[in-house]
Amino acid sequence: MSGYQIVVCGSVVPDPLQTLEPVEGATGPSLKNELMLPAVLDPWAAQALYEAAHLATRSPGSKVWLVALGPKAKLQQVMMAIGQKVAFELVALDGPAGGFVDAHETAAALSDAIKGLPGLDRSRLLVFGGWESGSRGAGATLQMVGEHLGIRDQFQGVDQIAPQADGSLEILERVEGGQHQLSRVEGPPALLGWATGNLPEPRNSPQVGMANMKTIMPALQRARPTKVGTADLKYLAVALPRVQRETRVVKDKSSDDIAREIVEWISKD
Amino acid sequence: MSDANESLPLPERPSMEVDIACVGFGPAMGGFLTTLARALTNPDGSPALESGVSPGLPLQVVCYERADGLGFGVSGVVTRARGIRASLPDLDPAQIPMATPVKAEKVVYLLDPVGASRRSRTLRAADGSIRLMKFMLPYERHALELPFTPAFLHKKGGLVLSIGQFNQWVGEQLMAGGQVQIWPGTPVAEPLVEDGKVVGVRLADQGVSRDGAPEAGYAAGLDVKARLTVVADGPVGVVGRSLDERFGLPEGHHVREWAVGMKMVVDLPEHCTLEEGTVLHTFGYPEPEIFGFLYVHPGRVASVGLFVPSWFDSPVRSSYLLLQYFLQHPYLWHHLKGGKMRSWGAKSLKESGRRGEPHLVGDGFARIGEGSGSTNVLTGSGVDEAWTTGAQLAYGVLELARAGKPYSRENLEAAYVARRRSSWVEEEGRIAERARDGFGQSLVTGLLGMALTGLTKGRVNLGSEPVAPHERLGTVESYYDGRIPPGEIARIRAECRKSGQSLAAALMRRAGWPEIPYDGMLLVSHQDALLLGGKVQAPAGYADHVRFVQPAVCEKCGTRTCIEICSAQAITPGEEGRGPSFDREKCVHCGACLWNCTQSLEGERTNIAFGAGAGGLHSAEN
Amino acid sequence: METILFVTHTEADGRVPRAALEALAAARELALARKAELVVGVFGAVTANASAQVAGASAARWLAITSPDLSEARYASDAAAVEALARAAAATLVVAPATSRLSRVVPGVAQRLGGRVDTHATSLAEKDGAPVITRWFYRQRIEAQLSREKRPWLILLEGGCHAPFVAEGAAPVFAEVPLPLGPSDRRTRVLGLRAPRSDAQTIRPDARLLFVAGAGWTKKQADGKTHADRAGELILAFLQASKASLGSSKSLVDQSGEGQAVLPFLSHLNQVGQTGATPRHPKGLATCCHGEEPHVVGWRFILERRAVNLDPGCGWARGKADVLYVADAFEVMEKVNALLAAK
Repeated sequence: MSGYQIVVCGSVVPDPLQTLEPVEGATGPSLKNELMLPAVLDPWAAQALYEAAHLATRSPGSKVWLVALGPKAKLQQVMMAIGQKVAFELVALDGPAGGFVDAHETAAALSDAIKGLPGLDRSRLLVFGGWESGSRGAGATLQMVGEHLGIRDQFQGVDQIAPQADGSLEILERVEGGQHQLSRVEGPPALLGWATGNLPEPRNSPQVGMANMKTIMPALQRARPTKVGTADLKYLAVALPRVQRETRVVKDKSSDDIAREIVEWISKD
Repeated sequence: MSDANESLPLPERPSMEVDIACVGFGPAMGGFLTTLARALTNPDGSPALESGVSPGLPLQVVCYERADGLGFGVSGVVTRARGIRASLPDLDPAQIPMATPVKAEKVVYLLDPVGASRRSRTLRAADGSIRLMKFMLPYERHALELPFTPAFLHKKGGLVLSIGQFNQWVGEQLMAGGQVQIWPGTPVAEPLVEDGKVVGVRLADQGVSRDGAPEAGYAAGLDVKARLTVVADGPVGVVGRSLDERFGLPEGHHVREWAVGMKMVVDLPEHCTLEEGTVLHTFGYPEPEIFGFLYVHPGRVASVGLFVPSWFDSPVRSSYLLLQYFLQHPYLWHHLKGGKMRSWGAKSLKESGRRGEPHLVGDGFARIGEGSGSTNVLTGSGVDEAWTTGAQLAYGVLELARAGKPYSRENLEAAYVARRRSSWVEEEGRIAERARDGFGQSLVTGLLGMALTGLTKGRVNLGSEPVAPHERLGTVESYYDGRIPPGEIARIRAECRKSGQSLAAALMRRAGWPEIPYDGMLLVSHQDALLLGGKVQAPAGYADHVRFVQPAVCEKCGTRTCIEICSAQAITPGEEGRGPSFDREKCVHCGACLWNCTQSLEGERTNIAFGAGAGGLHSAEN
Repeated sequence: METILFVTHTEADGRVPRAALEALAAARELALARKAELVVGVFGAVTANASAQVAGASAARWLAITSPDLSEARYASDAAAVEALARAAAATLVVAPATSRLSRVVPGVAQRLGGRVDTHATSLAEKDGAPVITRWFYRQRIEAQLSREKRPWLILLEGGCHAPFVAEGAAPVFAEVPLPLGPSDRRTRVLGLRAPRSDAQTIRPDARLLFVAGAGWTKKQADGKTHADRAGELILAFLQASKASLGSSKSLVDQSGEGQAVLPFLSHLNQVGQTGATPRHPKGLATCCHGEEPHVVGWRFILERRAVNLDPGCGWARGKADVLYVADAFEVMEKVNALLAAK
C-alpha cells in the first residue's frame, strides 16, 4: 500500500482575540469562563491539519486523522468550522485542554490513542501537530508523543515538507535569525511540529463537511473521558501582568519636530 | 437579484441534494430544528423518516448560517419564553450561560441632563413639571421611574438571556443528537427558483475578489437542491429579501419601520447593587425617540443597549455615539461607572411586525422568524415568537412528511400557516400591528398610541401609515436649521472629510453634546469597540456584501446617512467622485445601511445592496 | 542532594552561544542556592573552545561529547547526546538554553529519562527551598511561577533573561562521554541553512530598535488612495538607515493572502504578537498600528516604546506606549529618513 498515514494532534484554544483572565480552581489554575469563550482549533495545529490534507491529496492512498483531546462540547463547536475545510477522521478524547494542564499527561493520552488506531503502519506514519499551542505554548507535547511512539526523526517549527522521488522527505524548520534549516529524512516514520507553513486556509466546502460529519459526530459521541491535569506541577502564582505606562500623547507637533524627536531617541543609547 | 439561476447552470458549479435546506440559525431555526430533530428517530434508534433524495438514509436536514459561530447574535434579550418553554419544558436557566429568571422590572423615563436633545414643546413642558415636582415623584438622577410596568410590556415569569449563548446551547444540543447538520461560516447567496418554485439555495462563491470576480482558488458556491427550503435568515437576510422581491409582499403589507439595536455586554462594577434578573426599559434619552434597556445577567454582568428607530429623523444618526451618551446618563452611570466592556454588537430589527409579513409559504419554501414578520412591535418581543413559528413549521413539515405529501404552497398553508394563524403569535401580532404608527409623528403620539393599542387590544390606534425610511429624512442642513448655520455645517463637513473623523460626532458636539471622556473600559472609541468587543473578522475570498448599486447616485446624495449609521464605521467617504467605501473587515452585518440609504432607485428599493457575507462581529456573549 | 546538569551544544567554531552562557550563570546561581552539585556538559562536533568560556563555573564535573555526528542540529543524535550527558551526570535538574537546537530535543529527552520538562522559562530561582521558574502562557498573556517535585526536571531557559556567565581562571579539562548512535539515529541529514525569501534582511534579532509596521500603511489614506509602494519605500529606507528589525501586526501579514496592496518584503516571520514572535529589543517604534492587546503582548520584552498613529484614542495612547505621536506616519518617516541620511 502506498500513501502516508498522517496523524495530526491538535486541540482547541480560546479564540486569540478574546479577553483572558486566570482563575484558581480546585484542580489548579484555569481561565475565567473557559467553557464560554469561543474556541478555535489551535492555529498551528490547524495549519498542520491543512498541510496533512494537502500532502494526502498529492500521495494517493493516504489517510489523515485528527486526534484531539479537549472538552467534548468545545470540540464539537470547532468541528463545525474545521469539518468543512479538509477531509479527516476524528479521534476525540474528552478531557481538559487548558494551558495549565501538564504536557506529559496530554502526550501520554494522545500516544495511547494513536497506538490504538487500527491498521497503523509505522513505515507510512507521519505525526503532525502544532509546534506550540496557543494555550500551553510549551512546544514539548509532540516530542513526548514521538518518544512514546519511538519516532526519532523529529522536526519543529516546520514551514514546509517536500516529498522526494526516492521516498525521502525534505523539511524546512525555523531556526534563529529568521532562517530555515533544510533537512532530509529517509522516509516515515517522522514527526513534524508545524509553524505557519505556506498554505492558505482551505475554503469551506459543504460537501467535505457533509462527508466528514458522517464520522465526526459518531467520534464525538464515542469520545473517551480522559483524565489529564496539572499532575506534579505546583503553580505558585498565576497572574495577568499589569503593564500600564504613563503615555505622553503628542498631538500638536509638526512632523518635522516629531521626526527630530524620534531620531534623537533612536540615536541615543 | 439575478435571473442567472433560471437558465442552465454553469458547468463548474457543483450541486448536491438534501431533503430540507435551512437558511440562518437563530431562535426561529432553533425552534424548527429542535422540534423536527426529536421526531426524526424512533425509540429503537431507527430513522423515523426516510430521505426522499438518498433512499435508505434518514431525512437529510442541513442548515447554513453565514456567521462564523452559532453564538453570533446580538440582543440581550428578555423574553416570556412561552414558546421556548413549551418546546423545552425541562429548561433550567442554570444550564445556559448568562440566563436567569426575571426578578424585577422597571420602566424609566430619562430626562436630559445635558440639554442638547431635541424635545418638543410638549415634552419640555412635561420635563419642567417633573423637575418641579421631583420631590413628590419617584425621581432620581434625572430620571422618572414609572410606578408600574404596563401589562403589555411585562416579562414577569420570563428569562433574561444572552441570545448568543442561548443559540449556541440550542445548537450544541442539536449537533450532539446528530439528526441535523448545522454549518456556520457558510453564507447563502440566493434562493434557487425554477418556474416560480423554490428548489433550493445557492451558496456564496469563494475565492473571488471584492467585486465578485473569480480569482486563483475560485470555488463556485454549491447549489444545494432541496424539497423544502426553510428561510429563517432574519430581518435583513438576503434569501428572504430576494423572495420578497421576486414574489412581492401581500397586499397592503410593507416593510417601512426599522431600528438598529446596539448593545454592550458589560462587567458591572463592584459597587453595583443591581440584582441578577433586573430588567430596565428606558426612553427619552439621549433623544426622546431612543428606547434603551439594561438587563442583569448572573455574575454581575449586564446587557445594556438601545434602539435607534427609523422614525428618529436625524440624517446623521449614529447608534454608537448615542449609545455612549446613553451609558453616561446619571441614572445609568450610577450603576455602570467603573464597569468594563466585554463585548459589543448591533443588529437591525424589523419593526414592521405583522404588517411587514411576507408570503409565508410558496412552492418549496416556508418562512419563519423575524424575517417573516413574527415580531410583536407592541411588546417589543421577537425571540419567543420566532421560536414558536419555527416549532409550528416543524409540526407542519412532520405532518406532510409522514403523509408523503409534497411541500407545495397549498400543503404548507394547511400544515404550517394555519397553525400559525390560530396561535397566540398571530393573535397578539394582530393586536400589535399598528402599535407604533404614532411614532411617525412624535414621541408623545407614539407613546400614547402604544398605550391605547395595549389597553384596547389593538382596537384603537394612533398615527397613520408609515412611509419608507428614506422618505422621512431631510438634509443635514434642514435638520440643524436654527441650531447650526449651513455655512458652518459645510466647514465641519470639509474638515471631517479631510481628517477622516466622524461627521455625526462633530455635529453633535457643535449642537451641544459634550466630549466623551474615554476611559478605555466602558467609554471607548468606536474602533476600539470593534476590537474590545469581540473579534471582527472577515475571511478572505468573498465578495463585498455591501455594494453601492449606482455610485453616481451616491455622488448626488447630500446626507450619506449610511456612513453615520454604520454600526462599525465600515462605510466611509470614498474617493472624490466615487461612492462611499466599504471595508468588509469591519462590517458587523447589522444591515442598517440597507434601510438608511436616502436615495431610492425604484419603488422602495434603495441604492445599497446588502448580501450575505461570512464573518462579522463574533462574540459568544452577545 | 540535587545534581544540576547545565547542558549546551557548541556552534561550528566550537564555542557555546551567548544564550548558553546566560543559562550557565543561572544554573550556577541555583546550584549555589540549593547547595547542589553542578555538572557542565557540552556536545558538538568541536567542543575544545568551549572550555575557556566556562572556566571558573565551579562545576564538580566537566563532561563533553565530541563527535562529527553532532556537527548538525538533528533530533536523533542531539537527543542521544543530551540523554547520555544527563545519565552520565545522574542529573536531577537539567538546565539548558532555549536555542532552536535544544528546544527541539530536550522535551523528548525528558520523556526518555522518565522526567518532566518546562520550556520558555524566563527566570530560574530558588524559593522556599524549591527551584521555581517563571513562564508565560496563552501567548504571553498570562504569567505563572511554578515548581515541580518529580525528577529529573529539565528546564529550557529563554535567552536574554539572565546576565551571561563571565569566565575566569584556568580552562577545565572535559571528560569525554561516549555517544551510542545506531543507524536509526542517522536517517536524517541536515543539508544546510536557507536565508529568508526576500533579499531584504528584515529580521535582526540583535537590533537596538524594533520597527513595527501596522495595517494602516496599506490602507486608504486621506486622499482616498492606497500608497503601498511608497509605504514599502519608506519602511525599507528606514530599516536600511537605522538597522532596525522589522516586525508587523497579524493583520498586515495576513493581507498578502488576500490580493490586497501588500508590502512584498513582509512574511509571517515578521509577525509580532499573537501567533508570532516576542522579540527582544531595547526600543520599539510602532507605526500605523492600532496597538490592540493581542499584538502588544508580543512587545513584552521591548523596553522603551513609542508609536506614530493618526488616532489619538488607539491602544498605544492608553498605557501601552511611553509616547504616542498623533501624526501621519508617511510624513514623519519621510522626515526621519531624511535626518538619518544626513547624519
